[in-house]
Amino acid sequence: MKKYMLALMVVLLLSGVSMAQDVVLEFQQWWEPELPEGSFRAILDDFEAANPGIRVETISGPYLTTKDQIIASAATGTMADVVGLDGAWVNVLWKQGALHSLTQAMADAMYDDSELAAQIQLAGETYMIPIANFIYPVFVNLDMLGAAGIDPPSTRAEFAAAAEALTDPDNNVYGWAQPLSLEQPNGIQNDTMSWLWATGGSMLDDMGQPNLVGNEMLADTMAYIKSLHDAGVVAPGAFAMKENEKVEEFVNERVAMIINTLAHFTLIRERNPDLNFDISALPAAEGYDGPRGLPYASWGIGIGANTEHKAEAWKLIEYLVSVDGNTKLTSIANAFPGNVNATPDFIQTDPLFMTAFEIFQEGYLANEFTGLPAAEELMRQFDEPFQFYLEGEIELEEFLEIAQEEWEAIFE
Amino acid sequence: MIGSRRQILVRKILIWIALILGACFAGLPVLWMVSSSFKSNLEIFAYPPALIDYSFSFDAYKAVLSDPGQLRFFFNSYLVAIMVTICTVVTSILAGYSFSRYDFRFKKFLNLIIIGVQSVPPITLMIPYFGLIVWLGIYNSYTALVLTYMVFTLSYAIIMMTGYFNTLPRDLDEAVMIDGGGSFVTLWRILVPISLPGIVAVGVYTFMLAWNEFLFALTLTRTNDMRTVPIGIHLLMGQHSFEWNQMLALSVLGSLPVLILFLLFQRYFIAGMSAGSVKG
Amino acid sequence: MSEPANIGWEQRKRKLLPYGYLSPTLLLLAALTVIPIGTVFLYSLVDNVIVNPNPPVFVGLDNYEEVLTNRKFRGALSNTMYFSIVSVVVHFIIGLSFALLLNSRLLSANVKAIFRVIYILPWVFTASIIAILWRLLLNPHGVVNFVLLELGIIPELNEWLSDRKLALNAVTFINIWSGYPFYMVSFLAGLQGIPDDLYESGRVDGGNAWQLFRHITLPQLRPIIISLALLDFIWTIHQFTLIWMTTGGGPLRSTEVLSTYTYKAAFSSHEYSIASTIAMVILAICTFVAIFYVRSQRMADE
Repeated sequence: MKKYMLALMVVLLLSGVSMAQDVVLEFQQWWEPELPEGSFRAILDDFEAANPGIRVETISGPYLTTKDQIIASAATGTMADVVGLDGAWVNVLWKQGALHSLTQAMADAMYDDSELAAQIQLAGETYMIPIANFIYPVFVNLDMLGAAGIDPPSTRAEFAAAAEALTDPDNNVYGWAQPLSLEQPNGIQNDTMSWLWATGGSMLDDMGQPNLVGNEMLADTMAYIKSLHDAGVVAPGAFAMKENEKVEEFVNERVAMIINTLAHFTLIRERNPDLNFDISALPAAEGYDGPRGLPYASWGIGIGANTEHKAEAWKLIEYLVSVDGNTKLTSIANAFPGNVNATPDFIQTDPLFMTAFEIFQEGYLANEFTGLPAAEELMRQFDEPFQFYLEGEIELEEFLEIAQEEWEAIFE
Repeated sequence: MIGSRRQILVRKILIWIALILGACFAGLPVLWMVSSSFKSNLEIFAYPPALIDYSFSFDAYKAVLSDPGQLRFFFNSYLVAIMVTICTVVTSILAGYSFSRYDFRFKKFLNLIIIGVQSVPPITLMIPYFGLIVWLGIYNSYTALVLTYMVFTLSYAIIMMTGYFNTLPRDLDEAVMIDGGGSFVTLWRILVPISLPGIVAVGVYTFMLAWNEFLFALTLTRTNDMRTVPIGIHLLMGQHSFEWNQMLALSVLGSLPVLILFLLFQRYFIAGMSAGSVKG
Repeated sequence: MSEPANIGWEQRKRKLLPYGYLSPTLLLLAALTVIPIGTVFLYSLVDNVIVNPNPPVFVGLDNYEEVLTNRKFRGALSNTMYFSIVSVVVHFIIGLSFALLLNSRLLSANVKAIFRVIYILPWVFTASIIAILWRLLLNPHGVVNFVLLELGIIPELNEWLSDRKLALNAVTFINIWSGYPFYMVSFLAGLQGIPDDLYESGRVDGGNAWQLFRHITLPQLRPIIISLALLDFIWTIHQFTLIWMTTGGGPLRSTEVLSTYTYKAAFSSHEYSIASTIAMVILAICTFVAIFYVRSQRMADE
């Protein structure tokens, strides 16, 4: 009996020792629930196998609440070592002093950053690395277009004409859907400003300050979108619609064209296997033939400022942006890689993804909201007068003036 | 006599019409929810709506029930809700007894405070509250959730218990007191056994609130092994897509315990609520 | 010798006893609500908190001035009042009607039991589920529009949650749907507590159903009505999840209430000082209501 106890104690002691030696990294993100069961863990297991002595514990939550949770945990010093980031949150966390400089981390590890497709910088230092990118092309319902005898539109005028031809209110069918919910105002980024970027425009001036008033391209874009609403080709319920509902409308063939993330590919096929759809680049203004800005969303990654394991945290990031790790991650996420040399499987196996990849290569990634202060609030403050404008309550100039004023207050 | 019989019949018919209209108002949305949990995600958004002819399937339920993570949420919800119920009931019995049977200096002031703490909107308290929980070292534990829900439920629980005790005649406990029993003995031996309806009402109310709370359950926990059913439902809302049918299936499953609780205790519950609200 | 001392001790014990019974409650509330409320109050007096690297600056009542003079705040305040008052009034009407129905002597006990359960249904769901459910139902291509259109009640598909003329009423309706069972159960209980002889003597005096209701039922339920209405008012002012998840305060700020406005200030604009200030204003409103509540209770006691 005593012997057993002794043995047990030795085992406990040993395991205690070995556990004490292991560095445990907490990794907070919203990706795990988004990915096929167990697939994210498998990637982390590979990392652990390659880096004995480091263990990764995932803290996973729903996307919609992850930002609030990270801010609250940063305020109380309980932030995870490694965090998943959205471009819209970086600025506020950086301001809060919650993020560790990745420029610093890369220098400490003597890492060569030439393979990184992008880095999000604030005040000259990197705080977020996008490791998986989801571009937003236009999804078109080929059956509906075919029935109307139209090709996928490539210019704004073509798009407007197509939307009009496809709209049939009696059968509840509309050309386009624009989600403008104020709870999730990312429709301003993905379904509104994207029109501007696709035609080479910008909502900021050279100094990176808001440039909404006197911006001809922006004014044209907004007037164009209003003309679509006035023509009655936009699906009803836009002012409360959220991104996911836009997709359900498309899946149910009540909307013929949507601007939408590639992340929805599998979902759309699963929901409605009979849906015959294609993707194309976002239409540009007539006569524009420069490269088209592609709206995108990223899964970004960063290091918490309070972590005691900065070197280990960087190792994890380094693995996830390495050719091997990034290929694995983007393959399961159906995303475009954050490492220029990584090639996810689906690009070779799926013709629609090949098209997407071509669109991706011909254009450039454009999301001017990334890294801006209170980016979500900027979208919301733009959304409100935009709704008034679409309703015909206020004129275009007034709408842009209100938005400009709100934005300047936030930028201060 | 015949006239009055006819009158009764007319009244009966009117009551039945009202009853059925009311049932439509209350029940149809829920019926739609239950039926949608058997639909495919595509059919949930179909127009005209698939009311009867849809591909009935248990897939959503199978997906939810075969996921050990989801079952853990149920376990956590039960554990937390039961613990909160016990703690709140005991604490509110003590407080209610004090308010009902004693006169003391700060009675009115304390009463106001206890009602007043409900007045702060919970969302604004979140950040300082979160900081406090971390500082107390109970972040991501059942204890944090139990204490939090006690704070949420105590005000109304005390109001109900005080009201219930107020309906019981004072002669009862005075008799025991004179016989030499202490005040605690009086409470435990005499008042508590006859206050069962009030206790059940407090218990059911507390259980429901603890079972359904979302915001703090999310903020005060960080790992899924501590999380409850409402968060499980939210985890099915992804960044880009919702598993609508699974979400609805989980909601149906998640509300069954509360419904069963009400079915079992409705008589007591209603009787207990009565006293609680008559003299709040 | 020791007797007076003993009596003193007994007396003191008797005096302290009620506090003893209250101590668990007071301890918990002091630790877990008074401290955070105090913190929020402090936040409301300073600038630069939480997400600002600069040290906090004491600004006195500046934040209050900023909040109270803000047009958006006043819009949110008036929406909140509309939302809360309509909710409370309709909760009362529906809750009482259903309770009266379920208390009818013309129905058998089994029928009553079945309908009691049906009527209680909206109460068993958590707020976020209710929000999701009604978003699906009220979707422009949802089942509500379909049914109303087929019945010829509406001429075309309504955008319930995205038309600003409808949205506030739509969210109020949802809140009414989810909240009336609480009233119903309380009234059901209250009705059962009204002695039958009151009605008997009323009938002997020749009162008809309406008169009995007005002169016996309502006065008897008065204490319940007041306490329920005041508590419900406080709870409704706090209602956040339901509005946030259905409309987010939109469209065109038509459903912006104090709770969504506070949330945006805190978690979207990251203006914690302003959010805390709004919280203190809400606290003041609710405390005012709570004082009424305690008053009414006292009156009931006397």
